[in-house]
Amino acid sequence: MSTREIFDGRLEAALLLLPTIIVSVVFLYYPTALAVRTSFFDSGFGRQDEFVGFENYTTLLTSSDYHSSILLSVLFAAIVVVGVISFSLYVTFLIHEVEYGQTAYLLSVIWPYALPPAVGALVFLFMLHPTLGVVTGPIEALGIDLNWFSNGSQAFVVVALAAIWKQIGYNVIFMIASMNTIPDALTETARLDGVSRFRRLVSVYVPIMTPTLFFLVIINTIYAFFSTFALVDLLTSGGPSGATNILIFDLYQEGFSFFNFGIASTKSVILFLVVGILMYVQFRVTDKYSYYGG
Amino acid sequence: MDGVIQYTKRRIDAVIGRTPEQTDQGSNAGIHLQLWVLVFLVVFPIAVALIVSTKQQGIVTSLGDLAPGTYALENYREAIVDYNFGRFMWNSLVMSTVVVAGKLVISVCAAMAIVYYRVPYKDLVFLFILFTLLLPVPVRFIPLYQLINDFGWGNSLLAITVPYLASATAVFILRQHFLSIPTSIVETAKLDGVGPIQFMVYVLIPMSKGVLVGVSIIMFVYAWNQYLWPLVIINSEANQVAQVGLQLLQGDVQGGQLSWSLVMAGSMLTLIPPLVLMIIFRKPLLETFTIQQK
Amino acid sequence: MTTIKLQNLRKEFDDVVAVNGIDLTVEDGEFLVIVGPSGCGKSTTLRLLAGLEQATDGRIGMNGRDVTDTEPKNRNVAMVFQNYALYPHMTGRRNITFGMKSAGSFTDEDIDRRVEEAAETLDITDLLDRKPQAMSGGERQRIALGRAIVRDPDAFLMDEPLSNLDAKLRIQMRAELTRLHAELQTTTIYVTHDQTEAMTLGERVVVMNDGQIMQVDSPQVLYDFPENRFVAEFIGDPAMNMIDVAVEHGTAVHDAFELPLPSDGGEDGSTETSLGARQSKEQQAAVLGIRPEDFYLAREYPDLGDETFTATVDVTEPLGDSLLIHCSVGDAAFKIQAEPRTSLQTGDEITVTYDPERLHLFDPETGEAVYHSANAPASPERVEQAPRG
Repeated sequence: MSTREIFDGRLEAALLLLPTIIVSVVFLYYPTALAVRTSFFDSGFGRQDEFVGFENYTTLLTSSDYHSSILLSVLFAAIVVVGVISFSLYVTFLIHEVEYGQTAYLLSVIWPYALPPAVGALVFLFMLHPTLGVVTGPIEALGIDLNWFSNGSQAFVVVALAAIWKQIGYNVIFMIASMNTIPDALTETARLDGVSRFRRLVSVYVPIMTPTLFFLVIINTIYAFFSTFALVDLLTSGGPSGATNILIFDLYQEGFSFFNFGIASTKSVILFLVVGILMYVQFRVTDKYSYYGG
Repeated sequence: MDGVIQYTKRRIDAVIGRTPEQTDQGSNAGIHLQLWVLVFLVVFPIAVALIVSTKQQGIVTSLGDLAPGTYALENYREAIVDYNFGRFMWNSLVMSTVVVAGKLVISVCAAMAIVYYRVPYKDLVFLFILFTLLLPVPVRFIPLYQLINDFGWGNSLLAITVPYLASATAVFILRQHFLSIPTSIVETAKLDGVGPIQFMVYVLIPMSKGVLVGVSIIMFVYAWNQYLWPLVIINSEANQVAQVGLQLLQGDVQGGQLSWSLVMAGSMLTLIPPLVLMIIFRKPLLETFTIQQK
Repeated sequence: MTTIKLQNLRKEFDDVVAVNGIDLTVEDGEFLVIVGPSGCGKSTTLRLLAGLEQATDGRIGMNGRDVTDTEPKNRNVAMVFQNYALYPHMTGRRNITFGMKSAGSFTDEDIDRRVEEAAETLDITDLLDRKPQAMSGGERQRIALGRAIVRDPDAFLMDEPLSNLDAKLRIQMRAELTRLHAELQTTTIYVTHDQTEAMTLGERVVVMNDGQIMQVDSPQVLYDFPENRFVAEFIGDPAMNMIDVAVEHGTAVHDAFELPLPSDGGEDGSTETSLGARQSKEQQAAVLGIRPEDFYLAREYPDLGDETFTATVDVTEPLGDSLLIHCSVGDAAFKIQAEPRTSLQTGDEITVTYDPERLHLFDPETGEAVYHSANAPASPERVEQAPRG
């Protein structure tokens, strides 16, 4: 029944909270509210704002271009999430299994956490450049004609690979922390029972790590939706012919290439709903599975 | 029955030292080998970038060209001085430092109020702050762009720092950490009549050093890697940050005015600050991450 | 001079009543121990005294001053916690002085002098420049005690201060606390769940259960004259045996044995009267309480008495200095603390006798003690309590 609430000056508490609240209201809540408002207007550069009700929404929801952008984003997120989680989980498991060199291995795979997306994009652009890239030759030697500047699916794969690469570090950081909390006794019991290494990962570790893995699924989904802008912008600019035009890039273009603020705001609001739903799902799921963590 | 016999056999194997791994799964050497391959995949792109940044022209079209060149100093000097990259780096550094310092100060204050003050509605305030996690830059950058221009902050340091100051993540991590400080220590302070400022300066901050460092690194990496918002709001080269500066360099390459080695030198420069900080402070950083997940 | 007076003190947390109307007077310079099982409200009582909790109802007085709503820092009490509550980033010295310096009412010379004195008293001079992580548990608790005594408070409030120490160190620190109290004579209220600690440290012991005081007495009186079943069973290890009997004409009757109850004839008239009432009636159900050490094997103590009965050995536990025999007779199971190195097997029949001066009877419904075969001493505490209460 002990308490940490040792001070009770209301004015002091208000003063301490004020800076965070002011910044939140002015730069986070208010612009969001504005976006919601603008989404009901026909608004653009040098145009008079005109109230159009839900017209922007109906336009978007019936636009086949926007549909494909949504589909593209979902597919992109799915590939990134699955790719990054499987790769990171396997690497983390191997690091967990070795007896020496753990720190060195760990550092060599978590560093991409610090990698600026723009740098990641440029390095991929250079490495896989269809005519000049270092690994273009070896890949083409395998019989693949690398021409992602004009081939949409290839462009999509390149952006996804860059996105996965950049996100590995962050995932390994959380996975290693989670794996290290698994009691040694469980590992030893599994070994005594002759459970093979791979089965131990799948049948013992993964179920225990469920809360962490769910957390990462959500974080990675949000990452794929929102933080991959620099990759798309520098690698493909949404092309070729819309093959990598995921929602966030589409929104940017709407606002800053076409200056359709009304439609762009509508797209913002839709994105907001997407994050909202993802966060809600994360909250519900971690709540439900939290007993695993003990 | 067979199962029991199998089980017993495995037990016996275990007792006499024949571990299952020796028979059915890769040995330790195999694990190291796999790790080497995976680490190579993760490190290779950046190693290529590093090597290219030391070459004269940066035309590296085959794996055979991947020997370090001798133009490192020349390339980095040219990028920093002739192509203004020093200026971009400096802008990024100022921006990130201001954001980190500002976030830390106002987040410590907010978390202190939330944990140590007995005031009404503070849970609501905490929720209000947490809710900003749902409002990432992409959701609001169009109205924010208009708002910042209305303030007359366009193209300035204010534009790329102040909107970032409120941090739900920092407040959340600090709150979790404060809640882990034993109540009896807090109560001792209360019995001694320690005032709020003394408490913050002499008790709370010294007891939160690790977390404060960890949060600072997370914030620094976040601020340093910002791309979309500076791209939108900063339109003079003199005030641009390194992430967007890279794009300017790349544009010059596409236009045929610059060699790839300079772009890669710029990329390396952009990667260094967050990477170095992350490696130096990896311990508090990893500990802080584990708090975040709770 | 510090006396503390709690009047009808009550504390509720949401719908849980932690402290349910407590009246207690702590005398100046007294070492008072509050003991009880976890959740009995003992720590909450202490925290109410410190001002860390606000009373729901009732008053707290210190030296005649009502401090019920006084800020903790203005109560001039010092608290010692189970987990030491040392600031991990401060040296021993800084831990001791930090609170005083914050209070601002001491000069630097004064602080230095007091720290030196306290360090000498507690033998912690060597620890002053070390940080807590470089100290053992016992050393940390000494620093915490140092922090409490430098302020020269009106009262020490100690919340299970020895519970984190290992058994050996705990016994050593117990003796040290007694010495410290003898030296400083500061009013001390000490909370523990450990009845041995309570008995060895307390000048008076308060036994609490379910937010209420069960009994307040000196340790020996608590042990010899428990006022109810709860105290009887809580104090003493191994616990007192409780056997359902019927009382008939001054005799406790069980299916398998009959124990005559010596007439107590003491000054405690009420007990005699109630027993007298029982004697006149046909039969009265009661719970007979006998401590395991008050049972004897007849063959070891042939002179003790004629009253014997036969029991069957279930299990024996050698405790080193004695042998604990779990045995049964009819439907009653009880324990006997016998001489060590007695060779007994499960199933053996033993002849049991007992000390007739050490029998207790409790009301089966209320749990109140209705009879002690020994004469209750006119305990000074009770005499003192009565006119004041």
